[in-house]
Amino acid sequence: MGKINLNRKDCVVTIELGTSAVRVFAFDLSGNLIGSAKGAYPTFHPEPDYSEQDPEQLFITMLYVLKNFFTETVHPKKYKVLTISFSAAMHSVLAIDKNGVPLGNVITWADNRGKDEAKILKGSALGKNIYKATGTPIHPMSPLVKITWMKNKDKERFKKTYKFLSIKSYIIQQLTGEYIIDYSLASATGLFNIHKLKWDNDALDYAGIAVNKLPELVSVFHPAGKLRKEYQTSLGLSADTKILTGSSDGCMATLGAGVWEEGKATLTIEDSGAMRVVGKEILEDDKQRFFNYVLTEDYYVSGGPTNNGGIIFEWFAKQFGHFTNAYDIDSSMKELINDASKVATGSDGLLFLPYLLGERAPIWNANARGVYFGLNINHEQKHFVRATIEGILYEMYSIGKTLEEHRSIKTLSVNGSFGTIPFCSQLIADIFNKPVGISKNTSSVGQGTFLLSATEMGIYKNLDDAAKTVEFAETFKPNKQNNSIHKKYAAIFESLSTKFSAEFEAISNLQQKNI
Amino acid sequence: MNQFLLLQGHSKELDAFAHIIEFAIRRNTAVHLNSFTEDSTNSIRIYYVMEGKFEWTINDNHHILYPGDLVLIQPGHKFGGQKGVLDIGKLCWLYIEVNKLEPADRIMFGKWSSIPKNEILAIGKILRLCNTPVLSRAKDAGGILYEIQQELFNQQIGYSTRVNHLLDELFILIARKLTLQNNTHRDFPLSFMNLEQSLRKNLSHNWTVEEMAAMVGLGTTTFTEKVKSYSGFSPLNYLITIRISEAIKLLKRNDLSVTDIALDTGFYSSQHFSTTFKKLTGYTPSDFRKKNMSNGQD
Repeated sequence: MGKINLNRKDCVVTIELGTSAVRVFAFDLSGNLIGSAKGAYPTFHPEPDYSEQDPEQLFITMLYVLKNFFTETVHPKKYKVLTISFSAAMHSVLAIDKNGVPLGNVITWADNRGKDEAKILKGSALGKNIYKATGTPIHPMSPLVKITWMKNKDKERFKKTYKFLSIKSYIIQQLTGEYIIDYSLASATGLFNIHKLKWDNDALDYAGIAVNKLPELVSVFHPAGKLRKEYQTSLGLSADTKILTGSSDGCMATLGAGVWEEGKATLTIEDSGAMRVVGKEILEDDKQRFFNYVLTEDYYVSGGPTNNGGIIFEWFAKQFGHFTNAYDIDSSMKELINDASKVATGSDGLLFLPYLLGERAPIWNANARGVYFGLNINHEQKHFVRATIEGILYEMYSIGKTLEEHRSIKTLSVNGSFGTIPFCSQLIADIFNKPVGISKNTSSVGQGTFLLSATEMGIYKNLDDAAKTVEFAETFKPNKQNNSIHKKYAAIFESLSTKFSAEFEAISNLQQKNI
Repeated sequence: MNQFLLLQGHSKELDAFAHIIEFAIRRNTAVHLNSFTEDSTNSIRIYYVMEGKFEWTINDNHHILYPGDLVLIQPGHKFGGQKGVLDIGKLCWLYIEVNKLEPADRIMFGKWSSIPKNEILAIGKILRLCNTPVLSRAKDAGGILYEIQQELFNQQIGYSTRVNHLLDELFILIARKLTLQNNTHRDFPLSFMNLEQSLRKNLSHNWTVEEMAAMVGLGTTTFTEKVKSYSGFSPLNYLITIRISEAIKLLKRNDLSVTDIALDTGFYSSQHFSTTFKKLTGYTPSDFRKKNMSNGQD
């Protein structure tokens, strides 16, 4: 490690294989951002419950973005790339044959085709044990459930499959030839025992696969082999460029938000969202409401995910916002936020349940649907705007409350494009009655992946030290008066969310018949 | 407007317009059995509803039309009244002859049109790819049809030029309205997804930015900006990511020649394909194929 010289122009490149795009960042060794680039790819929905992506398009998009990024930003500034490190969306499944050729598309986290399989397993004693061992809630998102679905419903593909990979494993295999998966991403598959750091036999038996059907388990710090010569040439990289396996986007967002000590939690709200804490212990929950993912051998990232984040506000803006220019949703959302700020805390008694996409934590009800509650004759459009935003955040708060049954949380670190809108950040502070910090870097995932790589390179002693370097640009202090109002609405919100359970099921059945 | 019926070869008003096959306004006062059975023709047919309510089957889809609504039936598409009858009401229709091009579903207007070729191809593409050929509230199209009628019957100086210009105007209006109807101009990801599906369905087509922009209902400058900020790529570079990823799938299947793959995925030649492929991946297509036919571990 003695070779590292902070004066030489060395850099670390992070690659985030996200839900809708690949994002690439370059950092110098002090953690300053050199530049970034992105490339989007589509999600296909061949059936209502399906969410798939083309693995070749992901790979090509990543190569193309990297090539342009290197030739336009990194190489002209004469940076030497020491390490390329990965993060990826969780829960993806890609079946490949013995030649490494994909058997169909990648099934993404948002895919619900395994909902029957999930329902059966979740209700069983075996399901409870598997959740305890693997830390991943039994849900259609879980690769365990997806592979079980394939075993039952797509027998031919199941039989032909040489290995079941995550999208990151596929991309790394393309680049270096190795079939590997890190503990962190493995711990989101529902197939990995987070206590023993091994594939879980009960889960494997249930899915009907042997260990050799899965990639090899490695630490997040594992060097994933050498970049193939052809890619060294086309990307202009040297043979000694280290390819670091890295982790999952969720774990990296948590590290990049500087959430590492007792009393801290991170709230990420992009299209979807999650609230997470880090600790040396997992969160045992009888109601199976939390995920527990392994970051390193010593640390777990635990928390709850929501389907209904910023995407719900975008939905609202598309339907009811004012559009001056074609497709200018950003201006439309800005105007709506201004409207919302003119309405009193609590939207004068209008309450919104944001479950347009069903919900995961804490209610874990795929049939849940959206509700505006408490409408009276004095409500105007602006009340709907504010209620919509408050509803999305009350949902985050209901995850937070369940987390607080296990951990004490004193401060929040907020990231994601929706959460960091100042109006939303202040609301979060008021609703949670806790100070909110917004990190200086726009991408917590990229920042976290850099910190992980820098720790591997010896720049930081350990992840604790690395996490301490995260700076906060802005803090929002809670307003006590507003908090006491929010508390009253949050109580009604919670009670409605469970009370409507029978009606949610009935209406979602009617909706399915109309598809 | 009074009723009239002009037929090519019979009505002298159409002598100067070989491309106008039929043009009529008709008031239907009674329902007759088999008065409007399904058929298809080689021309583009435009129907504009003036009064009443019509129930039609167009290309096997059922549509209900009210005054101000317009349908455009493409060459070869089946069209007729629900249950084979013409409902009570008032209608205007216009049949225009088009030249068919290879591949068979491409259309081209005759010399009468002053729209440049690339724009006609783009308009043709919009018409073909549009899910619903029905335009609601197309009163401005009704206005153009009225003007065409006036020009044909009054025959003032320059009328043949005016009629042809009005026809061009009508097609441009229909194409613009169709893209507007299919793109609310609110949801760019959705419009982009629809466009991307069309690109995939016609990957061998030599797509231009103009065509792609027209399908989303934007001008090329705004379109390019939106695509760049949404996808990170220029429209043509985005298209390359689709072309290469489709090509990779075909290369791995090993039952098509590299040249066939190149043409199927929209490259001019296998040379063009190889250069682009190698620039991006570092492999030539055939080396890439060899690598993946071993066991992937090399």
